[in-house]
Amino acid sequence: MNETRRGGSDRGFLLHAEPWRETSLLVDAWTRAHGRLWLVAKGAKRPHSALRSVLLPFQPLHLRWSGKGERLTLTGAEWLGGMPLLSGEALWCGYYLNELILRLAPREVPHPEWFDAYETAVRALAAGEPVAPVLRAFEWASLQATGHAPQWPETGPVAVPLSAEAYQAVAQGAWSAPIVAREVKPWLRALIDHCLEGRPLRTRAFMKEWVTNGKG
Amino acid sequence: MSQALNELIDALKRLPGLGPRSAQRLAHHLLNHDRAAAKRLARALARAAEVLVHCAECNTFSETPVCARCADPARDRSVVCVVETPADLEAFDAAHVFQGCYYVLMGRLSPLDGIGPKALGIEKLLARIARPEVKEVVLATNFTAEGEATAQWLAERIAAAVPTCTITRLARGVPVGGELEYADPATIAYAWHDRRVLTNQQS
Ligand SMILES: [Zn+2]
Repeated sequence: MNETRRGGSDRGFLLHAEPWRETSLLVDAWTRAHGRLWLVAKGAKRPHSALRSVLLPFQPLHLRWSGKGERLTLTGAEWLGGMPLLSGEALWCGYYLNELILRLAPREVPHPEWFDAYETAVRALAAGEPVAPVLRAFEWASLQATGHAPQWPETGPVAVPLSAEAYQAVAQGAWSAPIVAREVKPWLRALIDHCLEGRPLRTRAFMKEWVTNGKG
Repeated sequence: MSQALNELIDALKRLPGLGPRSAQRLAHHLLNHDRAAAKRLARALARAAEVLVHCAECNTFSETPVCARCADPARDRSVVCVVETPADLEAFDAAHVFQGCYYVLMGRLSPLDGIGPKALGIEKLLARIARPEVKEVVLATNFTAEGEATAQWLAERIAAAVPTCTITRLARGVPVGGELEYADPATIAYAWHDRRVLTNQQS
């Protein structure tokens, strides 16, 4: 644990927030140059808190913090905006992106490229682009960032074969190619499941329930 | 330590936000300084746990199978307003604009916490809305990310299950009496998003 006093500011997103003590929120934030941070938003649950309306997921923010230890104090959050709200299927996909980071990113390790991939994905979802290529691109970026992306012809620690053509699509980032849905999707899923060591993703079960019950 | 004291601390620890130390402090306070309050709390808790049920109509806490509000014949049965909590219901009712019926979800969806539609028991809501007299459902969940997710989920499910029902969502906007100058940017962004047409001239 880092006990020296530190302050900073960065572009970031709120991944998840939970109630903290009586009136505060504990924010799991994803920042560009500082990685995942635990920020305590003091008084954010009070009715007139200025933080209350800004601390929303899927919106770019400028975050400021100070303090020591693993839980820092959020001293400011500025709304950067410019991104429409996620809705419908895009919203569930957004939660899936967040869960991937929450589960795969260690705390306080900078991952600027992974952060940029996240922002690109959220923007694409907000713009209403087809969700499947967005998710595949982000899954691959997540595997690369965590050092779990295998190099061809090696197919990684999972027993799912991948053809040369499929790997070509991955290497070129051709996520809309027909072979991606057919061959690359199950391969990426197996790799991600391997990273998660068998603990299932909550949002995946959620999306499955949505598809079976809701949109049919 | 006495077994009775242990049991009390154990029971208090189950309350949300209470760790072992706070539970111990509360137990000591009740027994040391406020024995009367302790007895009153015990009675109130036992009674509430005994008599309160979920209203068969609106799902809020009630001492009768159907709560007084739902039993009121003056209520408009064609509109059902869906809120997250009993506190939200009271706030909404205090605005005195709505004469219809309510449905209290007793929570909201939270994908990252694993609270899905099953945990929320939305089958009861769907059955409530499927009644022929219901013409409109107002989704009045909170304007938090989870409240919004819940509203979208419900809108899809209700549209699929009860296609004849009109589904509406409360509007977001700048607070009444509030000036734009003092409104926070997120609120203005949402108000812009939800802007409405005043005139629709085509020249
Ligand atoms: Zn009722």
